[in-house]
Amino acid sequence: MTTESPTGKTKIPTYCYQCVAGPDLLNVRVEDGIATEVQPNFDAADCTPAAGKVCVKAFGLIQKVYNPHRILTPMKRTNPKKGRNEDPKFVPISWDEALDTIADKVKQIQVEGKTDEAGYPKIAASFGGGGTSTYYMGTFPAFLSAITPIDMGFGSGQGVKCYHSEHLYGELWHRAFIVTPDTPKCDYIISFGMNIEASGGVCGVKRHADARDRGVKRIQVEPHLSQTGAASSEWVPIRPKTDPAFMFALIHVLLHEQRDRLDKVFLRDRTGSPYLVAPNGYYLRDPESKKPLIYDLKSKQAVPFDTPDTEPALEGQYILSGIELGADEDRWEHQDIKVTTAFEKLVEHMKPFTPLWAGRVCDVDHKIIRRIALEYLDHARIGETIEVDGRTMPLRPVAVTLGKTVNNGWGGFHCCWARTMLAVLVGALEVPGGTIGTTVRINRPASDRNDSVKLSEDGFLAYPMNPTDKENWVAKPEVRNANRTLVPLVGNSAWSQALGPTHLAWMQQEKGPEHWPQATKPALWFVYRTNPAISFWDTEQITETIATFPFTVCFAYTRDETNHMADILLPDRTDLEGLQLIRIGGTKFIEQFWDHQGFALRQPVTEPQGDTRDFTWISTELARRCGVLEKYNKAVNRGAAGVALKTDYYDFSLDESQAHDVETIWDANCKAASAEITGGKESQGLDYYKEKGYRLTGFPRIKWYLTAKMEDEGVRYELPYQETLKRVGVQLGRRLHERGISWWDEQLEEYEGLPDMMDFQALWEGALERNFGVDISDYPFWLVTSRSMQYAWGGNVSIQMIREVSQNIGTHGGLVMNTGQAHKLGLKDGDRVEITSPLSATRGILVTRQGIRPDTLMLMGQFDHWATPFAKDFDVPSMNSLVPMLLDLTDSSGSGADLARVKIKKIGDAK
Amino acid sequence: MTRYVMVADINRCVGCQTCTAACKHTNATAPGVQWRKVLDFEVGTYPNVRRAFIPVGCNHCLDAPCADVCPTLATYKRPDGIVSIDYDLCIGCAYCIQACPYQARDRVDIPNKAYGKQFGQMKHEQKVPHSERRAVAQKCTFCVDRIDYGTANGLTPGIDPDATPACANSCIANALIFGDIDDPESNVSQLLRTHEHFQMHEELETGSGFYYLWERK
Repeated sequence: MTTESPTGKTKIPTYCYQCVAGPDLLNVRVEDGIATEVQPNFDAADCTPAAGKVCVKAFGLIQKVYNPHRILTPMKRTNPKKGRNEDPKFVPISWDEALDTIADKVKQIQVEGKTDEAGYPKIAASFGGGGTSTYYMGTFPAFLSAITPIDMGFGSGQGVKCYHSEHLYGELWHRAFIVTPDTPKCDYIISFGMNIEASGGVCGVKRHADARDRGVKRIQVEPHLSQTGAASSEWVPIRPKTDPAFMFALIHVLLHEQRDRLDKVFLRDRTGSPYLVAPNGYYLRDPESKKPLIYDLKSKQAVPFDTPDTEPALEGQYILSGIELGADEDRWEHQDIKVTTAFEKLVEHMKPFTPLWAGRVCDVDHKIIRRIALEYLDHARIGETIEVDGRTMPLRPVAVTLGKTVNNGWGGFHCCWARTMLAVLVGALEVPGGTIGTTVRINRPASDRNDSVKLSEDGFLAYPMNPTDKENWVAKPEVRNANRTLVPLVGNSAWSQALGPTHLAWMQQEKGPEHWPQATKPALWFVYRTNPAISFWDTEQITETIATFPFTVCFAYTRDETNHMADILLPDRTDLEGLQLIRIGGTKFIEQFWDHQGFALRQPVTEPQGDTRDFTWISTELARRCGVLEKYNKAVNRGAAGVALKTDYYDFSLDESQAHDVETIWDANCKAASAEITGGKESQGLDYYKEKGYRLTGFPRIKWYLTAKMEDEGVRYELPYQETLKRVGVQLGRRLHERGISWWDEQLEEYEGLPDMMDFQALWEGALERNFGVDISDYPFWLVTSRSMQYAWGGNVSIQMIREVSQNIGTHGGLVMNTGQAHKLGLKDGDRVEITSPLSATRGILVTRQGIRPDTLMLMGQFDHWATPFAKDFDVPSMNSLVPMLLDLTDSSGSGADLARVKIKKIGDAK
Repeated sequence: MTRYVMVADINRCVGCQTCTAACKHTNATAPGVQWRKVLDFEVGTYPNVRRAFIPVGCNHCLDAPCADVCPTLATYKRPDGIVSIDYDLCIGCAYCIQACPYQARDRVDIPNKAYGKQFGQMKHEQKVPHSERRAVAQKCTFCVDRIDYGTANGLTPGIDPDATPACANSCIANALIFGDIDDPESNVSQLLRTHEHFQMHEELETGSGFYYLWERK
């Protein structure tokens, strides 16, 4: 009998969290200290929804360690001139010199004042999207908390390349920073551009494959045939940015052709549908209690919404008396006026949006739209129930999902509202089989969606809106993107600055708008796991702006386009070299709702390369050298590294006066994690996690859904009518106008009781014509983008193996164009073309495909590198250099969308 | 009897290339050489077009064209259906590369250097050099060392990870399934009974050991 498995003798457990669809628990095979192979962790097969499998991106991590292009020692810039065409002349320096230089800068800022003449923090920091950097930066958050304030508002795509409107409105309506179908139970999914098969990670891919196997029907509505479209029952090629019209028509069919079949119990009891809306657009309220009124069919009178033993009217208009409370101190007293239920207003509002109308807008046969609406309703199984953890809950196996460019930028609000309404109308919100949320990032506590459910005075989910009243409005922006000043919905959590409008921070560097402080440059800018010179828009301008920042510190894996402008490069250890414990499981991000929760350890599987250092070592040394060690240790003890080290039932806190080594810090975190997970009974430390890799406990499935908590607390979803948003918008408008600011007026229009339909394509076309003085008909194609599963979020463009396997996906090679359209224009696959937008031009290879609309072009991923080793030789263009940052194309939530108008011309024959 | 085959469920495959990457790790194949990969296909004309992802590799044929042309008998059929190459016998003539209708074979003459000659070999490339494969034919082995280890240790290939090819182990969609088609109760036999399926280039009558499922019966 052979005793040694060919899969390897030594396997070290760790995790990959390169993207928000993680973490993937994995094993690394090690031979004589050299990492040779990434493998699934089958020990975790029964306790992770991904069954211990590992995403393709994780297989790039071994080359990531041994990549000859790595920066392996700290470097400093010796050419004071910065710019794309300037050689930085980086020279190696010692860690002492690098860290002392940074510490001197920090100390100088602490002494001279932490904010500048404009009131903005002198220190800024930018990290990769989705919070994934946090899973690699060890105790750096504790260091940052010791040197606050920090401006985190210089984004690297946040707001324009995230599910931005979904984040904000999702949290507002149902604590859903990320919205997902309850895939394991869902039978019918309408997916508007949601490329789940490329973005859902291992868990998403497995769940959707299982769903297909049991017969789920998924309709993919998008301008080009993505991987998700390929794996769907049907592809509906819709005109770009017309998704709101399609969705409004679905609602129209439900309301105007199938109203009797809707889930009226859900609408009556769990939503604001029965609330009465008065003539000025606010709820009719009880004069004494100020509570919104409903019309009780039992007592035949208006009563406060929370009156027991009532039967609220869902439809109808009534002649009633009461008060109406508007923006600020606006108050109207009404006697015998006509009021309408919110549901009735919805019915009237949606009347014009017929499938016939939408079909013309979307370039989709209206019969398809009506059929999809009816199929959705047929699959909703209204009235059926299912038992979850001993509680009977509604079963509604239908969902609508939204992808990027659909759920951000103008139209994002409309799509998010319509998607949530489609769930609400059939009672499919936050119930088994339906549309659910997974993540909380603006409300608190972030660790538990259910615990974040709080009842507002009006009976809805309370929301931590930034103030817009005269007394409390944050008139002077605290950070350069003015998030709290302009966007009430972003709240004030640790994530709020990064939620933007992040492009405002960049746009203002060139020229600020009227009556607004001129944005200053950060005196010190930290950058980690992000490359805004590539991953945002108008990349040429961003690159020029970055070159003007006086002192930039980049944690650097290889040289790249952003750290080309850095003053100091710090080589941290890569994914397979560093040490960190993270919290896993529960419900969060893309399809990540687990039956378990707990912790996983990332640990060195091989000797670190060169003179790289663990992020926690770097953070501790910086804290010590900056003279903030005590504050730093306090933050670590408080839980800045992931687990509170001291609670009422355990104490593993660190001596706050001492600098601790990396293993000591994580050993304390491991012990605290063990104690937390066992209610203080156990306290295994780092050695346990190094051997096992993770530790989990159960997570009750009933917590996947808010329904139980909402029912128990008597909370309603504020849908369909948006009284809160309407009031906030009016107040924000008044505050801005009081300061003479009118450049945010278009955004203010989006604060509506019910969303008014717009011509979103015309909005783009108009903005481009106005700002660039072009005739948009000269730019006949819409340019969109698509997710690359192999690359997205990974920061892995310099990994040869990732490049190699990604090339098997036909759309990776260049500019994707409809084959028939190319033929008409005399172009063929492989031709070299120039792509020109009103902003700029770029070049690449033409890839002809049948699966794309003739009026649409597609560029996958984000490339166009000119400094990153290996990637700079790809010759693959990116839409980022073609898309302008325009206020006109920024919506009220501070979001934009990946969309451009372009023309192309052939500049060379296929080789 | 035993015959090991691979089954690919194209209703589950999404073209993620995780199998491609896992194969490259396990077998330390050279840059550009993929014993397992997933093709990205389109069928039809806009707007009536479908896109599908098709895993490919050596089909471990019963009547293997590669073996037929091999002048040294280096390519041979094992009793369990796996087509193997005896690297000591192979003279690298590449007849088999031409003969294989599945384009599943390669020949690599130089050591692996993913970043090219100027940067030399990375540490992991040096550690797993597979010098026995230089200048000879190479292709998917169905991770035969795992099969042999498994059968010698009472494990079931296709079920126990230590006895299963890396591509099937790694597949995140569970679209690649490996097993013994001669066992009517095996995982693959059950799938072939319950699903409509086809084989690539059936007209060539190679007796392919690679089946594609496309929908439940």
